Amino acid sequence: MPIRPLTPPPTPPPPANSPGSAQVRRTLSPNRNTVTTIREDGSRRFLHPADAKGVFTLARRASAWVLIGVYLLLPWVRVGQYPAVFFDVGARRFHLFGATLAVQDLWLMFFVISGLGFSLFLVTSLLGRVWCGWACPQTVFLDHVFRRFERLIEGDAPQRRALDTAPWTLNKILRRSIKHAGFILFSAGIAHLFLAYFVSIPDLWHMMRTAPGLHWSSFVFVFVATGILYFNFAWFREQLCIVVCPYGRLQSALIDDHSLVIGYDVNRGEPRGKLHTPNAGACIDCNRCVQVCPTGIDIRQGLQIECIGCAACIDACDQVMVKVNRPTGLIRYDSAEGFAGRRTRLLRARTIVYSVLLLVGAGVGSWAFSTLRPAEMSVTRMRAAPYIVDQQYVRNQYLVRLINKRDQPTRFILRPRQLKPGIITRGFETTVEVGPLGEEVRPYIVQVPRGQYAGTFTLMLQVTDEPRTFTLNGEVEFLGPDPELLKEDGAK
Amino acid sequence: MKPNSDPSSEDTLRPHSYDGIQEYDKRLPNWWLATFYGAIVFAVAYWMYYAQSGLVPSDGAKVDAQISAIQAVKLSSAAGSLDDEGLWTMSQNPVVISAGQKTFNTTCASCHNEQMTGGIGPNLVDRTWLHGGRPTQIFSTVTSGVAAKGMPSWGPILGPKKISEAVAYILSKHDRKEPEMNASAAPLAVVQPAAH
Repeated sequence: MPIRPLTPPPTPPPPANSPGSAQVRRTLSPNRNTVTTIREDGSRRFLHPADAKGVFTLARRASAWVLIGVYLLLPWVRVGQYPAVFFDVGARRFHLFGATLAVQDLWLMFFVISGLGFSLFLVTSLLGRVWCGWACPQTVFLDHVFRRFERLIEGDAPQRRALDTAPWTLNKILRRSIKHAGFILFSAGIAHLFLAYFVSIPDLWHMMRTAPGLHWSSFVFVFVATGILYFNFAWFREQLCIVVCPYGRLQSALIDDHSLVIGYDVNRGEPRGKLHTPNAGACIDCNRCVQVCPTGIDIRQGLQIECIGCAACIDACDQVMVKVNRPTGLIRYDSAEGFAGRRTRLLRARTIVYSVLLLVGAGVGSWAFSTLRPAEMSVTRMRAAPYIVDQQYVRNQYLVRLINKRDQPTRFILRPRQLKPGIITRGFETTVEVGPLGEEVRPYIVQVPRGQYAGTFTLMLQVTDEPRTFTLNGEVEFLGPDPELLKEDGAK
Repeated sequence: MKPNSDPSSEDTLRPHSYDGIQEYDKRLPNWWLATFYGAIVFAVAYWMYYAQSGLVPSDGAKVDAQISAIQAVKLSSAAGSLDDEGLWTMSQNPVVISAGQKTFNTTCASCHNEQMTGGIGPNLVDRTWLHGGRPTQIFSTVTSGVAAKGMPSWGPILGPKKISEAVAYILSKHDRKEPEMNASAAPLAVVQPAAH
């Protein structure tokens, strides 16, 4: 068969989107000019995707449950004395796998967030919308929790469509009530657990057992979040992916002809024809790929913005191909170049640049995180003359500020480093105790005997906690007059 | 694929061409339009309620009220009024003395010595007062500092409450009848804490 150019077959003029039509279509007729789920009159066409069975369905389900497990269990995991991921808004601290970020350290989140950004850029340029179909919470919760519960209560696609148009019998009332009760319960569970990342599990449990009035803002937050989640998973569904999600749109810029996408092999499949049609392509026009699509597109028309990469069409087509004894893979993961018969290049300018940026960011970020300490110190000059000369000494007066970022009191020891003998210091003769999340300011006086004074120098100070688990270093200039002038002055 | 049988649903193109790209003229989803119009109504109502109706104090008024509350606390602190009489009275109060001692030992002792006998700074328990011995003069010296001698201005760092407690602690080591501390120089006005 000659290799065709990479354009999909021309579609017939778009069909009516039936404003307000009560007739239920058995098969959708998607087209590339309209969004299937938005009718001509602006109302929503609610989809009931058919069941897909196959390798990708199982693999996605397994990965989804791993991700759900992580989401559910992470608030219970402790690293050190804090939960692994704990954005403690009340105490203004973020705890991330043992590292505690106080407000002064929040600049480090720049590396976390930009690192996530570059990782997504790289993954998408290589693997296309794999985030959408496999890892996004929208897909994970919707496809593997809410839709499955709906399937359990209301049956498969034809049964759900029938229930939509059925009158309100006891059967319908019962099924719908149970379904929506379940949806609200799951939404509440997700919302409560989301709060746990911000208040920690023990506090969450305590709040759940006491009156809402005692923690009004948390209660309202969870109430509203449950409402939003319920509305999203019960009705809004793919509209979020198609209309709202900015990341879905970003990927148009990130995908090129070598990125892995889900597509239909036009060369193999066309011209499509029912079984036993002579000289027909592999596609038998069963429309199964259209029936299972949760966003309502026809993947045979080419990659479209609604496609979230869920691979249901792959499983559906493979299932049918096996039944008609044809090779699978008519719809498959491949790049645009791959579908045209050429090689997919993993190493190209785009992927190299993203990788380099990611590595540089990771390196700098790791170094930045390594500078994190449980305390901070700063040395400033006292507000008076910059230096004072008396009969015996040249004197500088400093204020040392110690900030304790921990939740428990800490005793600090301050020592000068590499100070010439003969120089006298006052202040910090004993340890200074700073309360939890507190700070203290103390004077520190340095006196250089006049005979020994040889000009300005850099004073280096070191602060440690009593058990010496960490060290902080600070520097400040020791100022003074011109040593020559001081000698003349002394000689008078 | 079933052919189009409804002639009224034509795909009209919007007239503008963006470098050769044109867009179809399709209706926005109803939920989108509803939330959009709802947001406009909400914005107007919000603006009327918060900025126009006078039912709620403005943000500026709220901040001013908070600042006034803080200043009121500063002025009416447990120290009472900061005149000579008030400071002598404070120097009899054990709670004030204990707080003042704490401040003194952490902040002043490095130059004036924990026993107040001086070192880098002058002796505070003798009867010589370089910058005036009345309580308000001592308070003023601590607050403004003596730049030439290296005494820093502690006003911005400690605040009038801590300074008055420390001064009361110093006074507690003296006899009220010492003449240097009751000098009949021109009486100073009552010290007001600076409004920041």
